[in-house]
Amino acid sequence: MKINLTVNGHAVALDVAPHRTLGDVLRNDLGLTGVREGCSTGDCGACTVLFNGTPIVSCLMLIPDAEGASVVTIEGLTKDGRPDPMQAAFVEKGAVQCGFCIPGMILASKAEDVPEGNLCRCTGYKKIQEAIREERRRTRPQA
Amino acid sequence: MKSVGERVPKLDAADKAAGKARYVQDLRLPGMLEAKVLRSTVPHGRIVSVDVSEAWKVRGVRAILTAKDIPAKAWGYAKDTTALKGDRVRRIGDELAAVAATDIEAAIEACERIKVVIEPLPAVYDIEATLAPGAPVLHESKGSNLVQTHHYEHGDVAAAFAKAAKVVEGTFTLPAQQHAALGPVGAVAEWDANGRLTLHDPTQIPFLVQRDLAEALDISPADLRIVQPAIGGAFGARLDLYPHEAIAALLARKAGAPVRLLFSRDEDFQTDPVRPRTIVKLRTAAAADGTLLARDADILVDCGAYVSWGSMTPVVMVNTFGNFYQCPAAKFRARTVWTNTQPTGAFRGFGNPELLFAVETQMDELARALKLDPIEFRLKNANRPEEVTPAGGRITSCGFKEVLEAVKAKLKRPAAPAEPHLKRGIGVAAVFHVGGGARIYRSDGCGATVKVDDFGKATVIVGATDIGQGMETAMAQIAAEELGIPVSMVRVATQADTDVRPWDVGVHASRTTFIAGNAVRLAAKEAKKQIEDARAALKLPPDAPVDKVVRAEHFRQKGRLISASAFYDPPTSMVDKANHGNVSAAYTWGCHGVEVEVDVETGQAVVKRVVAAHDVGRAINPMLVEGQIEGGVVQGLGYAMFEECVLKDGRMQNGFFLDYRIPGIKDVPDIETVLVETGDPEGPFGAKGIGEAPIVPIGPAIANAIADATGVRMREFPMTPERVWRELRNSR
Amino acid sequence: MREFRYEEPRSVDEAIALLAKPGRNRVMAGGTDLLVRLKRREWTVDTVINLKRIPGLRGIEDRKDHVFVGALTHLDEIGRSELLASRWPFLRETVHEMGSPQVRAMSTVGGNLCNASPAADMAPPLLCLDAVMVARGPLGERTVPLTAFFAGPGKTVLAPGEILTGIRIPPAPAKGCFIKFCTRRAMDLAFVSVAAAKVGSDVRLALGAVAPTPIRVPPSVEEAVKRCSPIDDVRASAEYRREIVRVLVRRALAKVAP
Repeated sequence: MKINLTVNGHAVALDVAPHRTLGDVLRNDLGLTGVREGCSTGDCGACTVLFNGTPIVSCLMLIPDAEGASVVTIEGLTKDGRPDPMQAAFVEKGAVQCGFCIPGMILASKAEDVPEGNLCRCTGYKKIQEAIREERRRTRPQA
Repeated sequence: MKSVGERVPKLDAADKAAGKARYVQDLRLPGMLEAKVLRSTVPHGRIVSVDVSEAWKVRGVRAILTAKDIPAKAWGYAKDTTALKGDRVRRIGDELAAVAATDIEAAIEACERIKVVIEPLPAVYDIEATLAPGAPVLHESKGSNLVQTHHYEHGDVAAAFAKAAKVVEGTFTLPAQQHAALGPVGAVAEWDANGRLTLHDPTQIPFLVQRDLAEALDISPADLRIVQPAIGGAFGARLDLYPHEAIAALLARKAGAPVRLLFSRDEDFQTDPVRPRTIVKLRTAAAADGTLLARDADILVDCGAYVSWGSMTPVVMVNTFGNFYQCPAAKFRARTVWTNTQPTGAFRGFGNPELLFAVETQMDELARALKLDPIEFRLKNANRPEEVTPAGGRITSCGFKEVLEAVKAKLKRPAAPAEPHLKRGIGVAAVFHVGGGARIYRSDGCGATVKVDDFGKATVIVGATDIGQGMETAMAQIAAEELGIPVSMVRVATQADTDVRPWDVGVHASRTTFIAGNAVRLAAKEAKKQIEDARAALKLPPDAPVDKVVRAEHFRQKGRLISASAFYDPPTSMVDKANHGNVSAAYTWGCHGVEVEVDVETGQAVVKRVVAAHDVGRAINPMLVEGQIEGGVVQGLGYAMFEECVLKDGRMQNGFFLDYRIPGIKDVPDIETVLVETGDPEGPFGAKGIGEAPIVPIGPAIANAIADATGVRMREFPMTPERVWRELRNSR
Repeated sequence: MREFRYEEPRSVDEAIALLAKPGRNRVMAGGTDLLVRLKRREWTVDTVINLKRIPGLRGIEDRKDHVFVGALTHLDEIGRSELLASRWPFLRETVHEMGSPQVRAMSTVGGNLCNASPAADMAPPLLCLDAVMVARGPLGERTVPLTAFFAGPGKTVLAPGEILTGIRIPPAPAKGCFIKFCTRRAMDLAFVSVAAAKVGSDVRLALGAVAPTPIRVPPSVEEAVKRCSPIDDVRASAEYRREIVRVLVRRALAKVAP
């Protein structure tokens, strides 16, 4: 099945079987391994991507539903080698331990103040909360 | 100090936040095959036949293995674990056959076509029933389901109980806990043309896997190289050799191609080792003035169907039991047993959370019975610096008093809520844990090499493993401090494999900062001396930068390579047959104070606030230390409040994140950490290990707070709303 | 996931025709439940019929004699709708208790109801609002009150060839509440859920996770406890669930009709 979508700002044309998920295609066909597969049933949030700007779990979306969409993965947040303010805040505030959940956590945090759909087993979430507050302080000083 | 004590961001954090870190799931080798394991759906039975002929018809299948195709080598402490099972299955999830195919769907399809006939046998899941006469025996050659018994005793226990003013006793029941690391289990195996194996394996024990896997595969350990990708969490789960590692290697050899074996989340939950189900029967005695007199424990620990580290958790329990508090008499027995369930392994805290739930609950009960403040009661019986315990533990630095006082100062009794069905309470619990290694193998050593190059950059090559805790960053800070260069000029060769890295026992027992840190410090000190010797020999001024000195030395014909290696093995001993001895070069103390709110109509208890004070010796990196404490608190909160494996006929009923509830971000209370720095004389720059201690006291502190709020004593984890409600109802 | 045929009908009639073809065919709305079941191999399908490209199935509209919620309206759209919030603010509270933000952005109200989980969170509040389900099949369109929609765990009264197209909510505003009782504070399934609403002077009550289907019950603690029939399962015992019904119903009724 032919699918056209935009991934991290680039137009992508795919010919893939329709039973595959967006997460699978991003990881295995496009090499975007920052899309982590923690459970594949939508319960952990590690495979979160921004889908037309909204966080979704890419393990539960069939690839045909991505037709025409704009998808941003963690790889797309880094611009010209410079980290996104959320990535920088996570690093500086010590919010990263094993790091497996972190790409999904960062993408969800772009939209949610409290990323309740993302599980982390290492950090206890406190430094994640601090990082999100720090990013908000830097990018939305008036808020 | 310039580097030690700084909040340096983790060196690998940027790559992890950018999605660039490579976990085992991200490895792809040319020609690589995907593997799937066919697992038993029968909890106990005799294998009659395994017929793979139909599986070969699936397009893309390249290798199929059953027990008869592989070396019949058993490993593990009881030599009862094999890669594939040939005559008997002993739990749901036992490995019956394995397939490697060009894609994972083909491997799954092939597994589904394998015909297995198993004649069911009676099974036993209960850890008490498994010792009863007539219970089905899992390993017939062993005679019974008793794996081993651990004993310990000091003082006159009977006399102490006889004269006590107050004795409390109880039975404490603890569930299996899943590590539930976010990165699922897996391994990638490839063989070269010389018959040498490279295993990409997120293990915590690369050098022990090298030995054990070589034995299982019947090859020389010299022909095995372990490469660790980024590790997506471990918490003890990767502290032993497990069947999937051998299966990946065997399939790759059979197929003549690299093989990747990845667990699904379901497989991870159903088959990977767990914290053992444990029952602790405990009595504690005290005098009327609050002097602790004696403890007596009888403990039962599940090993599951095959023995891994679960059976050794009593070793850490004993260490706490004999050393923690000034307790003049103590008696301990723990038996470990086989059951037809998931094998049990190491999990952060290693027996200590299980034991201390009982010990710290009874400390609270005694304090209340004797009308003493729970912290004052603990202070009265606290260990002191420079003390030798009856168990032979040599206590040097000791911040027990300080952590207790810190919690006392910061934990305030909350105002009563307006709603009559809500009750608030506070509770405390303390922890004692090893903080200077733990000699459970004959070696507790680690090697390190520090080289300094012509650009002034230092490279640290160390045996230690990072599982997310920040080993690399702590080592860089220690090396930078000793060499007198900025952390930004230090690299830690974390990608290096077992061919390159020096010996290390593995990442466990909160030992890495202490043990590897000392090794790195010694190596860096020697490298620094080489630089200073070169500076003197070359007559360079004291302010000549390091790169200039090293370059001058390396460009001199009779120059010397600036590189030094060191080995650190702490001044400790293994315990003797009676479980006496000093296994750690330093010990650590902590105290948690919590505030809970209990809905007495529904039984739902919510942890509102936690004060976590820990004696860390010295924080090499306070931000990472806080991260260990916060992470441990929340993992321990999950164990105490949410997490349990619900078994039915040997099968875990809740093997998904939806129903196996690890805490989410909204479940996290307000956590305040207090770092007490006692400056350990043996630790690198005074540091002690802190990886495990924070998971230990949170559970009993919550239970004690629930008792304070409601008068109800919880003796079973997790303290779900339903369990609390039942206790409340029974108390009425 | 095993391979399957995939169809993207552009009209309800086309979808109905595809569904009527021989084989194990299933419609997909949000897909968050379907894909989990396919991945776990609990279900096998020959054809997945994706409804997302059919115009008119998604959105919320004021149709004077009722508010129409398209079956494919995402849960987060329900949560954001000013129209719904202005009349039934507790629908927003309900949505915020469901799944995760990521899943709410994908799953649909129709999917939540058609899966017919006894614990479906959307059901109790909509039962209180006398919602009416609109379905289309080979024989045309028909309506079913939500109170008569569920037939058992995982079962609805929809005939094999029928598709839910939307939900009609009678226009009267209501004060209401939704109380979900579970262990974790997000991403959890209810042991018990209770919705109560006061429409005019009429007090209504509905329960989730304590019977084979979500149920509407008379608005009293005694009736609620009498009519629920909870089971023991991995999440809670029947006895405890019954007690929680007693407590939550009392609290819910106190909120809407003090």
